[in-house]
Amino acid sequence: MSQPILMPKLGQSDEVAPIVKWRKRIGEAVNKGDILFEIETEKAVLEVESFYAGNLIKIVVPAGQAAPVNAIVAFLGKPGEKAPDVAAAPASAAATASPGVEHNSGGRHGGRPSRVENKDSALPSGGSGSVPTVAAPLAASAVPSKPGRLLISPRARALANTSCIDPSGIAGSGPDGRIVEKDVRAHLDARGYDKLRISPAAKALAAQQKVDILAVTGTGEGGRIMTEDIQRAMAERPKPLTLMRQTIARRLTQSVVTSPHFYVTVSVDMGDLLKLRQEAKTRGSDYSVTDFILEACIMTLQEVPEVNSSTDGQSVRWHASVHLGLATSRPDGLVVPVIRDAQKLTLVELHQAAKALAARARDGKLLPEEMSGSTFTVSNMGMLNVENFTAIINPGESAILAVSSTLPTPVARDGNVVVRPIMKITLASDHRLVDGAMAARFVNAIKTKLEDVSLWTRSI
Amino acid sequence: MDSFDLIVIGAGPGGYPAAIRAAQLGARTAIVEQEAIGGTCLNWGCIPTKSLIAGADLFAHLGRAAEYGIQAGETRADYPAMIARKDKIVAKLRGGVKQLLKANGVQTFEGTGSFQARNRIAVRAADGALTTLETKHTVIATGSTSVMPGFLPKHPRVVESRAFLDRPSLPASMIVLGGGVIGCEFACMAAQLGVKVTVVELLPEILAMLDADAIMELRKHMQQKLGIRILAGAPLTNIGADDTGVSGTVGKETLRADLLLAALGRRPVTAGLDPAAAGVALTDKGMVVVDAFGRTTAASVYAIGDVNGGPQLAHAATAQGIAAVEHALGHARRAFDALVPSCIFTAPEVGQVGLTEQQAQASQRAVTVGRFPFAALGRALATGDSEGFVKLISDAQSDRLLGATAVGPHATDLIAEATLAIKGEWTAAELGRVIHAHPTFAESWMEAAHALHGACIHAAPKRR
Repeated sequence: MSQPILMPKLGQSDEVAPIVKWRKRIGEAVNKGDILFEIETEKAVLEVESFYAGNLIKIVVPAGQAAPVNAIVAFLGKPGEKAPDVAAAPASAAATASPGVEHNSGGRHGGRPSRVENKDSALPSGGSGSVPTVAAPLAASAVPSKPGRLLISPRARALANTSCIDPSGIAGSGPDGRIVEKDVRAHLDARGYDKLRISPAAKALAAQQKVDILAVTGTGEGGRIMTEDIQRAMAERPKPLTLMRQTIARRLTQSVVTSPHFYVTVSVDMGDLLKLRQEAKTRGSDYSVTDFILEACIMTLQEVPEVNSSTDGQSVRWHASVHLGLATSRPDGLVVPVIRDAQKLTLVELHQAAKALAARARDGKLLPEEMSGSTFTVSNMGMLNVENFTAIINPGESAILAVSSTLPTPVARDGNVVVRPIMKITLASDHRLVDGAMAARFVNAIKTKLEDVSLWTRSI
Repeated sequence: MDSFDLIVIGAGPGGYPAAIRAAQLGARTAIVEQEAIGGTCLNWGCIPTKSLIAGADLFAHLGRAAEYGIQAGETRADYPAMIARKDKIVAKLRGGVKQLLKANGVQTFEGTGSFQARNRIAVRAADGALTTLETKHTVIATGSTSVMPGFLPKHPRVVESRAFLDRPSLPASMIVLGGGVIGCEFACMAAQLGVKVTVVELLPEILAMLDADAIMELRKHMQQKLGIRILAGAPLTNIGADDTGVSGTVGKETLRADLLLAALGRRPVTAGLDPAAAGVALTDKGMVVVDAFGRTTAASVYAIGDVNGGPQLAHAATAQGIAAVEHALGHARRAFDALVPSCIFTAPEVGQVGLTEQQAQASQRAVTVGRFPFAALGRALATGDSEGFVKLISDAQSDRLLGATAVGPHATDLIAEATLAIKGEWTAAELGRVIHAHPTFAESWMEAAHALHGACIHAAPKRR
């Protein structure tokens, strides 16, 4: 009896998810707990484990296709067992498969193909209609359109192919704007195709790699297009953003456009705190500088609840709890794991929570609910050797704290110049909710806490 | 003080074309030469050796005359007459170059050029007279000279290539120390003229930069047809020389011969040049440091050819000389071309350009190889020279030609077509479609291009 594998429920919002990669091949043995496949959500690529053991006998939803939650994506069974003839459940048009993934026709799996339609633009337009189309023009012109969507006659396509040009930009003169051979010829003439000089190897490569040679600048003798030029064009070819980067792009653009940012910076003398931390370390407690900064933020947010709030432009909501977001860098982008009800945690608990979340974030093991609902975010670039920077507020929050590196800096102390370990922190605030004086009070309250060691000697 | 737009130091195959090109571009040009116009190439290198090799080759063919139905009778190589012929050819060419320089308005200064400053060059003539010249641009083209390491005894029986060419007679037997291009060319030439030759190479293989198949083909002919002994992979030690002959030890064997030819490489010539006075830096091996355009560390001073440590080939020097002058005079900004064919005038000849099969495979890409033997070529059989093969190497993905090797009759001329095709980024398929005249040796390239795609007409299909 074969065991169907279902698309798991991922979080609050995602109803449909694209499978980015199958980690098991047909016929391969699967143990309970093995990673079966990877799905992409707006926040991250997640690994899906198998709850069952058996052999993977059928993949219903291949990589690159999306499936709704609870739809059958595959079957496990005994080796050689025949899987039931099941068609992939159609993903709704709203599904956002990564456009970078090549789509196979689902036809050979029986029934209707579950192919995900791409919108005309390769990038999904995103949730908010107010978001400006930052990347759309690039995508429209540069990402090759999927075959079959362009209205073009076979002769015209053949000519475009043998000429190594991209016909998608040509205005068609046929019925319904269909591109006919004449249009391609006119395009070639208008763009000076006959004057183009290209080496045979370069042309062969362009044909193979579908590089539009009209868009390539030749660097050979007399502007002749050489292999090197095609290789450069290949390297420069736009690639679709990952779903994660698209999400980052959409959310951060939305934030910058809708919330008026302003920035207030203070310098924090970390000398005493670093000494304290060193002492704590010799006693065996491994607090990081970040722990103290987070704790200082949590305390200050409770003192200044205006900074722990959200607005839709009409009303404001003060949050009773501090859900602290930690901007965490990953090779493929940025994730913001959230420490919930951070105000309830002791410094030790905070340290453990932050450490665990950071590790899960780096390994890509965060669950969707661990990445949403933050009320304030800290972005710490202290380990990246920066003097000062500003951050962009996470949508739905009123401020974000940018923490820079602690650097030996000459400062004035009692009329003398001394060198102290100075860390700059910059608060970016949404001016709709926070004014300058309040932001100044907030950052100075954090500064005072970090500089006043007596506060911490009690808690560690 | 005479003043020039451009001065070239050294009138070899890099220097004199540079000077002529400068004059063509309207620069007031001078050239300084301390020895003989034409440099090593014309006087003690390419030209004289090829003159002798032509004689040796004819002699070898005469030995096979009966194969063609010709009764040549008893043939004898008259080496002094061959030397005289060589000297005549060299003198004629040297005169020609002198004439060309003069006709182009290049002023020639005989003597050793040395920098006094970046823009001032002193020429010291053989009689000690000193002339100082001012210049805007300078091209250093002083070339190279044979290495004679200290472990070689100083004796008339121990010679390098230049001294060998000055000898009026051939030895009965000879040890060639160094299995590089120069060593192998002299070994083949001498062996064809009846000298008993032993080549000793320290590296595991002679002509190590060549395609492995080409080495095998060449070795076969050198050993089996020319009777050359090749001892590779061990040094020659205990080298001795006296009036009765030379000797040395390879492994446990002691070699004896009449003459030892040292062909151990060449080193740059900068003696007397005083490059430091111009701020021109040298490497620790004495080569002038240059960038891709031939610019030295001193502004307006260029270095081309052997002295800059690039490929030690006359044609590379010529191309570099022209490029450097055009760069200096603001005519064209062009880096030195990296695609340099090499030709080896052994018996049989070898021509090579681009990547060898082994290099292409080591470059982490899929490659396709097409090979065609001269034994299957009508013209080669008709001519009676059917040893060897040509080989094309192309990128499997794009079919772009990456390299070519020819070993066999006219290989050194044949390589020109492959060079052109690789330079023009041709694909193997295109080369295969070009009509090659029949019956010619050049057809071999077309056949090899076909073979590369498994579509060779004049070779039986591979059994599957």
